[in-house]
Amino acid sequence: MANLSEWHSLRRLAAALLGFVALVVLRPAAQGGVRLPVRPDSFKFAVIGDNGTGDRPQFDVAQQMVAARRRFPFELVIMLGDNMYGRQQPQDFVDKFERPYAALLQAGVRFFASLGNHDDPNNRLYKNFNMDGQRFYTYTRKNVQFFVLDSNQIDPRQHAWLEQALSQSQQEWKICYFHHPIYSNARRHGSDIALRLTLEPLFTKHGVNVVFSGHDHTYERLKLQKGIEYFVEGASGQLRRGDIRPSETTAAYFDQDQSFMLVEVTNDEMFFEAVSRTGTVVDSGVIQRRPRT
Amino acid sequence: MKSHAAAHPLPRSHTQRRSLPATLVDRFLLLPIGAVIALIWANTAPESYFQVTLPMAFVVNEIGMAFFFALITQEVVEALMPGGALHSWRRWSLALVAAAGGVIGAAVMYFGYLNVKHEALLLPYWPIAGAIDMAVAYYTLKMILPRSGALPFLLLLGITTNIFGIIEVAPRFQVLNVYPGGVTLLVGALGLATLLRAVGVRAFWPYLAVCGTMSWFAFYREGLHPAFALVPIVPFLPHEPRRLDLFADPPDDDATHHFEHEWNTTVQCILFLFGLVNAGVVLQGYGTGTWAVMLAALVGRPLGILAAVGAAVAAGLHLPRGLGWRHLVVLALASSTGFTFALFFATGIISVGPMRAQVTLGALATALGSLLAFGAARLLRVGRFAP
Repeated sequence: MANLSEWHSLRRLAAALLGFVALVVLRPAAQGGVRLPVRPDSFKFAVIGDNGTGDRPQFDVAQQMVAARRRFPFELVIMLGDNMYGRQQPQDFVDKFERPYAALLQAGVRFFASLGNHDDPNNRLYKNFNMDGQRFYTYTRKNVQFFVLDSNQIDPRQHAWLEQALSQSQQEWKICYFHHPIYSNARRHGSDIALRLTLEPLFTKHGVNVVFSGHDHTYERLKLQKGIEYFVEGASGQLRRGDIRPSETTAAYFDQDQSFMLVEVTNDEMFFEAVSRTGTVVDSGVIQRRPRT
Repeated sequence: MKSHAAAHPLPRSHTQRRSLPATLVDRFLLLPIGAVIALIWANTAPESYFQVTLPMAFVVNEIGMAFFFALITQEVVEALMPGGALHSWRRWSLALVAAAGGVIGAAVMYFGYLNVKHEALLLPYWPIAGAIDMAVAYYTLKMILPRSGALPFLLLLGITTNIFGIIEVAPRFQVLNVYPGGVTLLVGALGLATLLRAVGVRAFWPYLAVCGTMSWFAFYREGLHPAFALVPIVPFLPHEPRRLDLFADPPDDDATHHFEHEWNTTVQCILFLFGLVNAGVVLQGYGTGTWAVMLAALVGRPLGILAAVGAAVAAGLHLPRGLGWRHLVVLALASSTGFTFALFFATGIISVGPMRAQVTLGALATALGSLLAFGAARLLRVGRFAP
């Protein structure tokens, strides 16, 4: 067992080194290294995706989230799907969700999940995912309205619901999140074009500001696409090391270690940081809210 | 019965060389060609592929495919009539047992694999794994076992299996709203078709244009897949019994045969568009659904068919004349291709998204069933590979 422990230590050391190297390499791509202002009246949340493995890296990321919350008191976590891998019996909810995030749950942080391809559809009934039994739903915090989709399939009912919900929204910030990215430069999955052609017209028509997705086990920030900021954060438990093939649409990426995001929304700005499993900020920046047309 | 020899092609035996378009139509090759174009297009220029094909999907899948199912229904109705190939219960019985075994085998393999992979999201889509592409299966088996009793048995198996699938898929059409009045509309369509039949209308147009349109709206309003809308109308067209050879030239030209002549090429073109619109999947989209459909179709169904036929024979039923166990193995593998029907079921019950892409890739990959059938025939020295 001593060997196993040493092996884990070595892996963590290697991951930390890789994180540092990636930080040095990626730094120029971030938007000027803008850090979170941590204003008292802003809305703060965290982002995780593809997290539910129950393995060591998920716990490491969760620990970093707890550490981050000391300086950045986020009130909720959005989950980008694949919240649970493998067996999904009651004990798995403990092992793959409640234990890793125990400190956050005890502190009153609420998690709002979307469904990924590995999630049992019945997980929408699990109270800690706050889905209220729905595959797709919306909720509002301060000046931000979230639209949570089930991207496994966009059936006519979900499409009509989204159109209506977006058109009725009066919030300054409209943020959509769902599992499958419609823009991604990861090699394994990449952009889902059919999904993009189905959803993007609604996003652009109704002024969606930001979209978060997972599925590709990496972190990537895309350049502005038709006025919308896209993030892929699918490495909060899983990791597909070196999977990104950056293209002209890539603004920044990190595919060397697990990661999560911290986001702060003020009236007209959204600040973000992507943080690695070792606590290194691998990308950060600020998004200006577009004026309403 | 009038003869219109000039209006129809000569029987195949009288024709020395057929033109390429005629061969493509006769051999149901337009669909695979459309599918291959779609696959290449979707993987080289996905944005333009989906921009072109997504808007076409409704017209092709929900309207165009109604004519495909009308033709299939016509064949089945005629085969069920007195003197038709399926009229005798004895001829049905073993195929029915084999079909049930195949469906159960595919479903068990599908559920089993998903259970191992813990992907419950895909569980409702098992009918896709149970579908049989009768054209692919027919031509595969015909190349291995020409002029064999295996061919009608295979077609019976295919028809029965797909009827199971259609019954399962039709009510799961992805529709936004269900409106009242559909049943009334359908009753009206059937009443009108009965009236047309009673007054001896032999032309197929009034049945399809008026009753068919009413039935289509009835299905759509009720949330049933409208591609099956002509299925209840076709039995009202005048028919005559025929042997069960869906892919052979029809022998004469009463109203329904006339319908078949008029629409065969059109339906083939619709199938080309169907392949083009639905088979374009980015290969990166493979996933658990892909393997589940492949395993279920290529392994589960053949095993299910063999097990069910084995049990039926042990219970006293007889294999078709000239058909041994080695032949049955080849037949079971030939029937493992889902292709057209599997694609149709996938588009019918899964909306746009990654899940459909996974399953569609699996449906396309079941075309490997033909190769497996050839491999088995060679190994077992069956048909053309016999010493």
